[in-house]
Amino acid sequence: MFDRRLATHFDWWFAATILGMAFLGILTIYSANTMAVSTFRRTLYLRQMMWVGVGIVALVAACLVSYRTLARFAYVIFGLGVVLLVVVLLIGKAGLGAHRWIRIGGFAFQPSEFAKLGLVLFLARYFDDHREKLREPRTMLLPATLTGLCMLLVLKQPDLGTALLLAFIALSIMLMLGLHWRYLIPFAAGGAAVAPVLWMVLKDYQRRRILVFLNPNLDPLGAGYHIAQSKIAVGSGGAFGKGWLAASQSQLNFLPLNHTDFIFAVLAEQWGFLGCLVVLLAYFYLITKGLQIAQDCTDLFAALLAAGISAMLAVQVLINTAMVLGMMPVVGIPLPLLSYGGSSFLVTMLCLGLLLNIHMRRFMY
Amino acid sequence: MEPLFPSPAQAITPRIRTAVLCLGVGFLVLLLRLWYLQILEGDRYFTLSTNNRLRVRPVEAPRGFILDRNGEILVENRPTFDLYATPEDVINTKEVAATLAEILGVSPGEIEARLHEGRERPYQPLLLRKDLDEGMMVAVEERRLDLPGISLHVRPVRAYPIGGAAANLLGYVSEVNQTQLAREEYQDFRPGENIGQAGVERRFDAFIRGIDGGEQVEVDARGRALRLVSRIEPHSGANVYLTIDKRIQEAAETAFAGKKGAVVAMNPTTGEILAMVSRPSYDPNLFAQRLTGEEWEKLATDRMHPMENRAFQAQYPPGSIFKLMVAIAGLESGALTPETKFNCPEHFYLGTAKFDDWKKGGFGVLDLKSAITHSANVYFYQAGLRVGIDPIVRTAKAFGLGESPGLGLGDEVKGNLPNPQPRRGGQPAWTPGNTVISSIGQGPVVTSPMQLLGMVSAIANGGTIYRPWVVKKITSLSGEILDEYEPEAVRQVAVKPETLAFIRQAMLGVVNEGTGARAKVPGILIAGKTGTAQVVKKGDEKGHAALKDHGWFVSFAPVDNPQIAVVVLVENGGFGGLVAAPVAKAVYEAAFGARQPFPHPGVGTDEAKEPDIED
Repeated sequence: MFDRRLATHFDWWFAATILGMAFLGILTIYSANTMAVSTFRRTLYLRQMMWVGVGIVALVAACLVSYRTLARFAYVIFGLGVVLLVVVLLIGKAGLGAHRWIRIGGFAFQPSEFAKLGLVLFLARYFDDHREKLREPRTMLLPATLTGLCMLLVLKQPDLGTALLLAFIALSIMLMLGLHWRYLIPFAAGGAAVAPVLWMVLKDYQRRRILVFLNPNLDPLGAGYHIAQSKIAVGSGGAFGKGWLAASQSQLNFLPLNHTDFIFAVLAEQWGFLGCLVVLLAYFYLITKGLQIAQDCTDLFAALLAAGISAMLAVQVLINTAMVLGMMPVVGIPLPLLSYGGSSFLVTMLCLGLLLNIHMRRFMY
Repeated sequence: MEPLFPSPAQAITPRIRTAVLCLGVGFLVLLLRLWYLQILEGDRYFTLSTNNRLRVRPVEAPRGFILDRNGEILVENRPTFDLYATPEDVINTKEVAATLAEILGVSPGEIEARLHEGRERPYQPLLLRKDLDEGMMVAVEERRLDLPGISLHVRPVRAYPIGGAAANLLGYVSEVNQTQLAREEYQDFRPGENIGQAGVERRFDAFIRGIDGGEQVEVDARGRALRLVSRIEPHSGANVYLTIDKRIQEAAETAFAGKKGAVVAMNPTTGEILAMVSRPSYDPNLFAQRLTGEEWEKLATDRMHPMENRAFQAQYPPGSIFKLMVAIAGLESGALTPETKFNCPEHFYLGTAKFDDWKKGGFGVLDLKSAITHSANVYFYQAGLRVGIDPIVRTAKAFGLGESPGLGLGDEVKGNLPNPQPRRGGQPAWTPGNTVISSIGQGPVVTSPMQLLGMVSAIANGGTIYRPWVVKKITSLSGEILDEYEPEAVRQVAVKPETLAFIRQAMLGVVNEGTGARAKVPGILIAGKTGTAQVVKKGDEKGHAALKDHGWFVSFAPVDNPQIAVVVLVENGGFGGLVAAPVAKAVYEAAFGARQPFPHPGVGTDEAKEPDIED
């Protein structure tokens, strides 16, 4: 059953890069919270270590089963993801407050993270099944509807960032398939025309509400403060950084969410331009490798899966870092592999495991 | 390697190339931005970071009000004045300290020491005293000229126009504590931030708390404020409208004065809580000011448990109230009919074991209705044996005993029901004697007042168990409805309408001519049931208050169109008919107010003859 070629085709450099990033994540989370008031915060790195352990198991598991087997369950997995999105809304309704997590024991997990992967699996399988009818606009109807449904459910939480991410994932897969650009024109034009008008019409407090909607964890002093502090943290890192545990700006709670969405700022302050360069190159390597894996595939499902996963990682990295560097409004999207958070880390590891999986089996199909 | 089939994926190759190109451009932009921030502007940002030039002063948002169902205010805010010093501006420390010491009634040394502490950060306002009383405030204002650098800051705190009424239900507000700060849910709280800690204040904190505003100030290296960069006004919290009726609440509080236990009133056709009293209680104003560690210790360790809401966080044997379950189980299974008669002497013997009735001399032969009316123990000993423990437990479960009522305001006790299953390892087996004592709501049977209220409401409304609820709606400051709540039927109990109709008539008899006569209100048909739960006696029988029985009264009215159901529990109060029924009477009088014109024929006319009310 186990083919020796699998081991020889395993990409060790790819795996090593992933582990290196995970380790860097733990170091950064530790240093970001050493001065925190909350003892929960101070011990976050221990939890992240546990998640890294779980993530490694998930990565290996995602490699072992052939992606062909996975393709058979793609619809079921997607269906489960949608059910979880509904469940989290129902539970959230009963529990008031945040509607994003399902708590099991001492741990909370975020169904929207799993929905991302579920959506990629679904779309890859669907288009693989309908490969003969790809040029018919009708074929796009069902995936567009279901993507819209997922987006609505995530919007209800409310989590605009993830909803937009889902749209982007679906869009990039369709583009990969050769969806003609002209299908996008009405959407893009409509959106571009309406958005600024809408923004003008809104009252000041409504705009702020939208910003809070974009990221409910945002401190009420507004995105301006947040981004200003983030830029100070990044900029003060200079060329070589202040060194580990010496990042005063991000440690002294000037930067809220420093261990989740703004972890890149902590990193930038500690390791400077050089550190950022290394991290960004690592991401670039992982993502382009994913795209290359997609390109090398002779199997449409695998190609779309790899391309979808790569697109998802790429968008998360680009949006998160652009936000930290003050080039984008603040939206709640974590940085893959580095941000604190079990669900995000676990799903990223599953995704990377699938890339390895496809890569290992490229000789088989 | 040759592909097995012509690859359809080859069509995507050019798109992949485009994707890599876009990605490359994206990363390049990020790197350029990093270059700009870290290399070109790095020195400037480094200076900014060492000076920490942006300071944020939070401005606490006023919490939303809590109102009753008619919009009467139950909890609001009042301004309180805190005394601050800005050490840099205090010109003559000795003089200022002496003046302040005189006003505040402390030693000048203490103030001086405090001001000295503040020298480290001379531009940072330093808190000297929270919540000045009026006299101190006036004195500070009058001597303002002698007090340079001293200022009063206004801050909203909770105020309770209804005094300590419903304190356990409403909850209180205090600073987030160390234990909480260690937990995940509170990771974004600042130390010293206020938070709802119990009851409605806690459960709906997310709505009530509002959004703090803040001032963003640019300061120089010494901490001196150079300019106000921006100020964001705080957003007041949302107003919470309860299902509580202030009039009924106050009547219940008054009638329950000096007693220990709980009173809860509910609309039996919706589950809306109309009043909830738990005693002993605490003064929520204590938390509005700064509670000293000593005061908190006293409250938390008080043997009387004033922090506990007895309505759903304490459990007691239901006593004779449980006889209703026996009767319903019997009527449903056919083991009992309204005509079933038992001889009821003073004692009942099961083998050699003797079980007493509360009435000296016994009752003679009784049918089911009179047995309920007079709460005859010996009747129900025999009825319980005939019905059997399993149907009784099943019925009790169906009526919501043994499960959390689902109010959602903190922990709820589940009570306990007999478990007659065969025992394992050393536990004594279930005996007929256990069934006998369970039949009068003693032994293994325990319930919370809330559970019995749900039970009696189901009897009143034809068998529907409603989830009890206390919040009707939540509105923003501008009146926009943020959330609205509706009745939720948990389940429909499978029970014949005739059974419930019979029980309701019997309960009417309890108030009209039986043990619940002291609840009688002229003109209103009240159905009730009294109960007296034995407290396990400890050694001596000297009649200490702590050893007296718990008195129960559950009821609803009007019997044919129920609008309100009431449970009263008086801890160690003695007979339910004596101590609990009159409290219910006061609640009904408040609820039905002056709109009771005519006495119903045959009701409340024979004041002279008062039947036995002990049970």
